[in-house]
Amino acid sequence: MDELEMLVEALGVELERERRAAVLAAFQPIAQEIAKLRSLDLTDVHPAVVFSPLPDNQQG
Amino acid sequence: MLENPIMRPIAELSAQLRLGKLASIDLLDNALDRIAKLDPKLQSFVCLAEDARSQAAAADREIGQGRWRGPLHGVPVAVKDNCLTADMPSRAGTDAPGVHFPRQDSKVVTKLREAGAIIVGKTRMHEFAWGNVTPPSKNPWDLNRVPGGSSGGSGAVVAARIVPVAMGSDTGGSIRIPAALCGAVGLKPTFGRVSRSGIIPHSWSLDHAGPLSYTVADSAYALNAISGHDPRDPGSARTEVPDFAEALGQPITDLRVGICRNHMFGNNQPDVDAAIEGAIRFYRDAGARLVEFELPILAFGLGAIFAIELSSSTAYHSRNLASGAVTGFTNDVRTLIEMGRLVTGPDYLKAEQLRRVLIDDLAKIFVDVDVIIGPTCPLTAWPIGEWTVRVGAQDESVLAASWRLTYPWNLAGLPAISLPCGFDGDGLPIGLQLAGRPFDEMNLIRAADAYERGHGWKDMYPQV
Repeated sequence: MDELEMLVEALGVELERERRAAVLAAFQPIAQEIAKLRSLDLTDVHPAVVFSPLPDNQQG
Repeated sequence: MLENPIMRPIAELSAQLRLGKLASIDLLDNALDRIAKLDPKLQSFVCLAEDARSQAAAADREIGQGRWRGPLHGVPVAVKDNCLTADMPSRAGTDAPGVHFPRQDSKVVTKLREAGAIIVGKTRMHEFAWGNVTPPSKNPWDLNRVPGGSSGGSGAVVAARIVPVAMGSDTGGSIRIPAALCGAVGLKPTFGRVSRSGIIPHSWSLDHAGPLSYTVADSAYALNAISGHDPRDPGSARTEVPDFAEALGQPITDLRVGICRNHMFGNNQPDVDAAIEGAIRFYRDAGARLVEFELPILAFGLGAIFAIELSSSTAYHSRNLASGAVTGFTNDVRTLIEMGRLVTGPDYLKAEQLRRVLIDDLAKIFVDVDVIIGPTCPLTAWPIGEWTVRVGAQDESVLAASWRLTYPWNLAGLPAISLPCGFDGDGLPIGLQLAGRPFDEMNLIRAADAYERGHGWKDMYPQV
């Protein structure tokens, strides 16, 4: 079982059997790009999305 | 009266409407005639407004009474099918059963109506804005080629001179790519400049709304109409809105033009590179200062935008996944929505960390430059049904290649504009892209307008 197959199993992602191969094949090149992202050390960088404790009607 | 007045830019139309030399109802009839004649070929409208004639009659009445609202008053415009409308259904490009959207006006439609624009109809889009082909719409320069996407219908109807402005949305290039491939102007404003409330979401932190138009000035007038804070959009900014038309006709001798030599160059079709180098020479010869730089972090951008876009889209469609409605989506869009579940939480947050680095790196570059120049798209419009093209020295997926130069400005939320800058050897339009500092659409419009005035591309349109 390859890494993506294991990921599908571990995440409990339900995919119709006949679609599984197509979805994983389409995801393969994207997974490679995301792997590049994982290789970056961004430990000290705060994500661009910032949490706000204000309720929805007081945002913005 | 001019023959086919609808083919003229807004500045000319509004001057004639205001003086009573042209009636909005006649302008609308002209647009409807062109839709009847051309859209069977272009297949770019999905719905026409039944009340368009009453909108135009009301505009004529108001203008006649001296209550002119501004440049869009009485001018027919179209909106992308993901902008909710009270008087027309919204489908976001999907035919899937079990998916419904409210019949109410989105904020951009409300603002266009307040500006006096005549909402003539809805334009076709790639399903849920998840693609850049927009079937079955056609490119007006060559009906065997794609118009781009996801705002492909808006690109086609503007390029075919059916309406001077059509609204689009842009998550990774969906305004600018069809503008480039169809030979129109497409303006993605800064994130937060234009409200997305009532626009069916694709990816909340990447989605932008903006116009496609005949000219840079037309986009400036449209941006004046649709900008401003909206508390119903959590991403909407409380920022002053200048009069964007004041950036038109300004000198550019003090302009500093940045050229990002990595990522943006070196892997484009030769005709595209040649056209952009020509545009760079135009700015140099006009007195602008050229500043070359590199932005190494862009090598990691594709993984970041995929992580954000896939996970956001899948989160938005979780109801459709649970209900099985996705089985009614087109196969490519269903695949993307299903695969978003494979992006992990750390991947998503790492992508948001990368955005912060990219934004900060760009801020340092914008100390020395006012706009960044490059191609909009590495390639021109490709044949319908073709999924791989030769770009530079290699065969590449058209989907991967087409948004490579546009998505960085969605990750960073910066304003960016595409405008025509020539044609390739097959007579297909090439798009020049300029990007600016956050909320500095003024410099962007100034630079784009100067280029447009220095060339004749805006006067060239396809014979459909």
